[in-house]
Amino acid sequence: MTKVAIVGAGQSKYGEFPDKGIKELFFEAFKDMAASVDKGLDPKGIEAAYIGNLGSGGFQLGNMSALVAEYAGLQYIPTMRIENACASGGYALVAAIMDVLSGTHKVALAGGVEKMTDVSGLKQKYWLGVSGDTEYERLAGTTFAGLYALIAQRHMHEFGTKREQLSSVAVKNHKNGAQNPKAQFQREITLEQAVKGPIVAAPLNLFDCCSTTDGASAVLVCDAEVAKQYTDTPVYVAGFGTSSDYLAIHDRISTVTLEGTKKASERAYKMAGLTAKDIQLAEVHDCFTIAELLAYEDLGFCEKGKAGPYLDEGHTQISGDRPVNASGGLKSKGHPIGSTGTGQAYEMFNQLRGTVQKPSRQVKKAEIGLVHNVGGSGGTVSVTIMRR
Amino acid sequence: MAHVSVPMYWRTIPQRYKMIGQKCKKCGHVNFPPKGVCKYCSVSSEFEDLQLSGRGKVHTFVLISSGGAPPEFAEQEKAGGMYPVAIVELAEGPKVIGQIADADPKTVKIGMPVKTELRKIYTEEDVIRYGFKFVPATEEK
Repeated sequence: MTKVAIVGAGQSKYGEFPDKGIKELFFEAFKDMAASVDKGLDPKGIEAAYIGNLGSGGFQLGNMSALVAEYAGLQYIPTMRIENACASGGYALVAAIMDVLSGTHKVALAGGVEKMTDVSGLKQKYWLGVSGDTEYERLAGTTFAGLYALIAQRHMHEFGTKREQLSSVAVKNHKNGAQNPKAQFQREITLEQAVKGPIVAAPLNLFDCCSTTDGASAVLVCDAEVAKQYTDTPVYVAGFGTSSDYLAIHDRISTVTLEGTKKASERAYKMAGLTAKDIQLAEVHDCFTIAELLAYEDLGFCEKGKAGPYLDEGHTQISGDRPVNASGGLKSKGHPIGSTGTGQAYEMFNQLRGTVQKPSRQVKKAEIGLVHNVGGSGGTVSVTIMRR
Repeated sequence: MAHVSVPMYWRTIPQRYKMIGQKCKKCGHVNFPPKGVCKYCSVSSEFEDLQLSGRGKVHTFVLISSGGAPPEFAEQEKAGGMYPVAIVELAEGPKVIGQIADADPKTVKIGMPVKTELRKIYTEEDVIRYGFKFVPATEEK
């Protein structure tokens, strides 16, 4: 499929910004996106906007898409808030792609924004916990760290995955994020630090978990026929796929597989006429270190159970044959829930065009990349494949 | 900061107090917690109530420590230290998540036999919520 193109992408800095709310953060990403459009962007040409957002602490639960759009100068167009927990941004991207593919609009904006640091620690956990299964998982006394720990424990039991392999995901992603000027944590960590982090939900410790983050991102999606009006080097949408799964882990066929990732990626590969072998780099959803290992397996980068050794062999380092999370991933870049999916697309847009801010993070000669966004512990998943 | 309202909790009393499962009239598999449509055959929505034994084995577990507990369980963590939560494979087939009580967290293992007991889960809206927790059991029935 080469009917839909991406011609611009922007991201706010990710981090903790007491002086910015969702409007200001989204506008920062929007301006950054507009500046990336090589031949210039007249905002009046944007015909619709899809905004990923979990709820930003409940401060603007209703009609938030209209609010952030009008603040950025986009009035009187169709806007929608897309909510699928941590996969909200990925689904907003897919919504914009489907809009253009349907022929309804020629140019649509996909974006996402989250403001997580305005809310107290207790309220934060309340807000994040609402994306798992409330009646059973939450009332057993777990948050997402606990749920991913249940998966990690079983993965270690079934496949011999090691503590050091979980930590190596964090070390790799912090190494990449240290070279990302927009990342929340621009610093490297050692394996020893990562292994000895304070326990949050054993077997997961602090360095296995991503943080709470403020941030926004925006991606300009258009009909391939009009792409050259915006740039001579568009990135094309080769395929996409999404899937749901049982919300509660105890209901799933397997505890160590995100069936949503398998289904979403199979659909994306089929649409693109590609297989996992063709994917040269990927941004995957590493909300917890175990989640990146699951992604290697469920996206088909390696066999089930072999993610630990696959990581150890160096394939997914920037210098490897299939770099994963060159941006620093959720782990180092930060995870502003609603923005994460379109933030991944921002990174992939720049990687495929060779326009990453720091050359040290630029993956060489990449033509085909995949972005993978997971909601909750896998209840919703989106995968989009892009090519130069 | 109501999270699970009393009416919402009340609707799950048959599961939380008595471990009532659903036996599918078409494929015979047991669903617990209940589904609208059987998750095994994906066809039937006709079930008969089945009293579960409450016995099972730990399929996987986590030890919830400081920072990993939801606000309504933070007090429990503070008072008693880290607490184990497990997904248990019940004797009748389905898996279900629940806390493990009366066990030193260090002794919890995958494959460990457990059984349910009615315990205090937590308090919200000034209402004590009771429900099942798992406790260590011996192998035989």
